Amino acid sequence: MSANRWLATGNFFSTYKEEQRIFFTHLDRLLFCVLLAVLFIWPLVYEVSNKYMLVLDNILIAMVAIIGLNLVTGFAGLISIGHAAFVGVGAYTLAVFARTIGDSHVLITHAWPLMLIVSGAVGAMFGAFVGLPALRLKHLYLAIATLSFQMIFQWTINFFPLFNQGQTIPVGRVYWFTGMVSRGDHYLFWYYVALVIVIVFGLAVRNLLRTRYGRSLVAVRDNDRAADAMGMNPGLTKVYAFALAGFFAGVAGALHAYLYRGAGIESFTLAQSISYLAMAIVGGLGTLTGSFFGPAAIRMLDLQVENLVEWLKHFLPAAMNLATAFKPLTFGLVIVLFLMFEPRGIANWWRICRTYVKLWPFRY
Amino acid sequence: MSYFLQLVVSGIVVGSIYALSGLGFVLIYKSSRVLNIAHGQIIATGAFITYALTVWVGIPLYISFFVSMVLTFFLAMSVERIFLRRLIGEPIISVIMVTIGLMSILDGIIYLTPFGGYNYSFPDFFPKTPINMGPVSISWTQMVGVIVTFTLIFLFTWFFKKSTVGISMRAVSDDQLASMSIGISVPHVFGLAWAMAGLSAAAAGGIIGNITGLNFETLHAFGIIVFPVVILGGLDSIIGAVVAGIIMGLIQQFASGYLDGKWGLSGTAEVLPYIILLIILLFKPHGLFGTHEIERV
Repeated sequence: MSANRWLATGNFFSTYKEEQRIFFTHLDRLLFCVLLAVLFIWPLVYEVSNKYMLVLDNILIAMVAIIGLNLVTGFAGLISIGHAAFVGVGAYTLAVFARTIGDSHVLITHAWPLMLIVSGAVGAMFGAFVGLPALRLKHLYLAIATLSFQMIFQWTINFFPLFNQGQTIPVGRVYWFTGMVSRGDHYLFWYYVALVIVIVFGLAVRNLLRTRYGRSLVAVRDNDRAADAMGMNPGLTKVYAFALAGFFAGVAGALHAYLYRGAGIESFTLAQSISYLAMAIVGGLGTLTGSFFGPAAIRMLDLQVENLVEWLKHFLPAAMNLATAFKPLTFGLVIVLFLMFEPRGIANWWRICRTYVKLWPFRY
Repeated sequence: MSYFLQLVVSGIVVGSIYALSGLGFVLIYKSSRVLNIAHGQIIATGAFITYALTVWVGIPLYISFFVSMVLTFFLAMSVERIFLRRLIGEPIISVIMVTIGLMSILDGIIYLTPFGGYNYSFPDFFPKTPINMGPVSISWTQMVGVIVTFTLIFLFTWFFKKSTVGISMRAVSDDQLASMSIGISVPHVFGLAWAMAGLSAAAAGGIIGNITGLNFETLHAFGIIVFPVVILGGLDSIIGAVVAGIIMGLIQQFASGYLDGKWGLSGTAEVLPYIILLIILLFKPHGLFGTHEIERV
């Protein structure tokens, strides 16, 4: 423990336990608490329209999903091109419950935290099942196996009447202690719920990564044979990475279904899977902070492109295809540019900024 | 029986197109270990260039077919030069994501052109009357398509087996360091592999466009359905792509011919390839003809 508990220059550790701390100084802890307080308080002070609140909700839900994707693809190195399908499994678990027991049943409206966990559990089951091929397959073959799951999921949802053949299945409004969450408070309410879940999961994953199970993920990514030789169980680790990703995705899916008050296939397509992968890449694969930056960056980009297209419409009356053309174009450009010039993602910028502030006024 | 034979024939037609599309994947993967997800978009680009040259410029179809092959040859080569060259040595996920990014960019560019929103069909080039061979019949377009496909596949196989450039490409796929030491330019080979993949993609696009008409969604879907084909055949085997392409074509035709409509099933042709792929991968994790990688710690 360094002498100054508030400021520390450089890394001085005398025990391994010290090195594994989440917050290195009291200042870190304080800043974290301030950030949380700001995130909780600002909606009460500053009012935003429902449109932007929805964007924020979407970002937070995507964060939950990306934490899972980052675990399986970033930390465990297993490429998953079917993450939207896992999110879909969560959403459809909730939706099918709502369909069978009625969408204003007390389980759906009052016991919604339970339903979130149930959806996560079902997602984890599917994740473990889809992870089974990872015992035998590697690299690209495994990536295509997850792509197969995505395709099979889409076909299943579109085919079976139980899932309303891909049409939206409605989910009822939920209750809080103060009564039913009204239309006006809907987006604000889910902002808080998603925020709490992101914080809890973020801390949980941060903790996981310093335990034996988290480190075994990284070991399996770097070289699974070496990990095997060192006494880890790569097969089990891979399956459990997929199960964890499925859990996070399932919770994100259930949140999505509650937020949009229904589940439809269009939110869980292959394009969405690719978009999740892009968020993980832009944020920074294999970093926890990347899971927060990535979704925010990509969703903000989408929003800005939408605004740009709206603005361009004043000048180009005949530009009918502009929105469909500009979205993939900018999306693709961002991915390619990030991979070419900053493969470690926004998380790396964050790291650089932090080091700069920490060392100020000195520099490397 | 004649229904069965008809399904076999159309399965082979579809399958040979899959084989030709898969060929482009295999060429790129074989030399540079890149899985090109944007291949469907390059196929579409080739088809659209052929159409634009034929209908808007007025060049005869067989010439524009070759011109578009040449154009995509250079297009794919420049794609490799600009985007992929920088990523040599990066992890697989980065390389996959860069091709996904390329896919999005090409999507965006195609949506900016008229081809993004409307359907087009080639003017009739061959006689419309189908050829009858006993119980089965096949249209002229399909017949010519299959012949062109097999000729191209034969040429590519010959090129890899006999020509000096082809042999140097095989050497690079076997061992990059060793082939560098005997004077083969590895980046050059990568560029050439992409260029040839672009060329085969344009050929595939031209044939698909003639058979099914030009719809971006359809051509786009070809890029996705080719994944199960190449994975089934083994990512680095040309013969595997051909065999797996025909297997997938037959499976799809049988599925839509026999399964659809029974027990209320529909659209099985879209999902069955993936289910069969998963089952086969469980028994042969490197596909039917793929090389087994030997991994050491």
